[in-house]
Amino acid sequence: MGGGEPASSKIQPPPSRPRIIAGIVVAVYIIAGVVVLIAIWTVLIFNHLIRLGNEAKKGWSNIDVQLKRRTDLIPNLVEAVKGYAAHERQVFDEVTAARTAMQQASGPAQAGEANKQATAAIGRLFAVSEAYPALRASENFQKLQDELTDTEDKIAAARRYYNQTVYQYNTRLQSFPDLIVAKLGGFHEREFFALDSPAEAGLPNVDFSGGAAS
Amino acid sequence: MTLEEQVRSNRIRSAMLLLSFGLVFVGIGAAVQAVYGGAWLIIIATIAFVYALISWFANGKMIASWTGARPVAKDEYPELVRAVENASIGAGLEQAPQVRVVDDPSPNAFAAGGSPKSAYIAATSGLLGMMDKRELEAVVAHEVGHVRNRDVRLMSLTAVLVGVVALVSDIALRLAFFGGGRRRGGGNPILMILGIVMLILAPIAAFGIQMSLSRKREYLADESSAEITGDPEGLAMALQKLQLDKTELRHANRATAHLYIETPLNNTSGARSALSGLFDTHPSLEARIESLEKMGGFQLPALAGQ
Repeated sequence: MGGGEPASSKIQPPPSRPRIIAGIVVAVYIIAGVVVLIAIWTVLIFNHLIRLGNEAKKGWSNIDVQLKRRTDLIPNLVEAVKGYAAHERQVFDEVTAARTAMQQASGPAQAGEANKQATAAIGRLFAVSEAYPALRASENFQKLQDELTDTEDKIAAARRYYNQTVYQYNTRLQSFPDLIVAKLGGFHEREFFALDSPAEAGLPNVDFSGGAAS
Repeated sequence: MTLEEQVRSNRIRSAMLLLSFGLVFVGIGAAVQAVYGGAWLIIIATIAFVYALISWFANGKMIASWTGARPVAKDEYPELVRAVENASIGAGLEQAPQVRVVDDPSPNAFAAGGSPKSAYIAATSGLLGMMDKRELEAVVAHEVGHVRNRDVRLMSLTAVLVGVVALVSDIALRLAFFGGGRRRGGGNPILMILGIVMLILAPIAAFGIQMSLSRKREYLADESSAEITGDPEGLAMALQKLQLDKTELRHANRATAHLYIETPLNNTSGARSALSGLFDTHPSLEARIESLEKMGGFQLPALAGQ
């Protein structure tokens, strides 16, 4: 801007006091920035874990609704069959025992076991009922059978969703950066519901990467 | 890319779609004004804005009236309603979408509407007659997958917007060619040519948007169906049944074609497939079955004569 050549090719002087202070200020800013970033990042992970946990809770309540419906239907079914086949005492006991186990189960793992037991017992009850044409013709029995098949289908659907979300949630809790947040935030892994094989929960998962490019 | 990202991207795309719809109509308005003079730009832009607003809120109802999808009760179609309920539970939706039926012998299904709460799933009576429980559940889960992935609003908006772009520019073009003698003032010829080019390009762009949406989304919804039911083979069997069927859907048109699980229009297969691939709204059923086979590790018996 000025007209003349500035005669300023001097040797750098040692850093003056204001320069040192400026350096410290910059360092403080950087550290503060890093701290803020870590804080934001922690909050994001925390929120993500909360959300996954809520999904799992929702999945569990879906199962729970259907399990309750099933335990409500079982006594009606037993009554209906008793009317035609009162002497099949052993099957009735089995079904009733399974129902009690379902009601007393605490937590998804136990409920899953009890539910499997109930499915088997109800299956035997239906097998027994095959021998009584009058029973099978009754409208009440058909309706109950239909309803119970429906609850079984819905439990299966809810189970798939629940186990998938639990799988995602537990995997996050076990993997590195989330692990620390989970420890500090008091997150705990959730139980699977009647998982037949470990692979069942993780597969298949939709990969949306292809959809991004369209 | 996760489900949340897909959901977010669909939301952004819906907004972009509305915006580009607005721009296309400003372009059409400008073109018409260039040809005819007058205040066409503001008139057409206003109508487009009102139509876009209606589309955003009522696209589901509009599509229902175009396709003839009527709401049904559980007593009437218990199997279908249950399939929708079960798939919704499997997908983790808050509530099951409404269920509708189209009385048509051609087997097909689609989902339409806005948010998961206002969306509905429609199946044709032909589909219900053809599929067993397992296959029906897989097809319904494909549609529930569209709802869960939030594809429905974008796809429904595309249907109602693309349809009207094609219609309007078609009318305007006809008027430009056949009603040309009566125009007032005789505008600038360069502007007129630009206007006509614009009117020809608008529907092509609209169909381009439509095609870019649907193909990958079909694969994704197939995968979602497999995830929801845990049964990719059931869907592959259903798609194979659709492959064998050659009937055409009565109420389908080019604008709604991409909504359906299988293309509802041209069911002629064979030699034309190489060229027609460019204009199809759906990937071929063969390719979709193949990708399901890969996913599930099974192999369906080949169709006779294919």
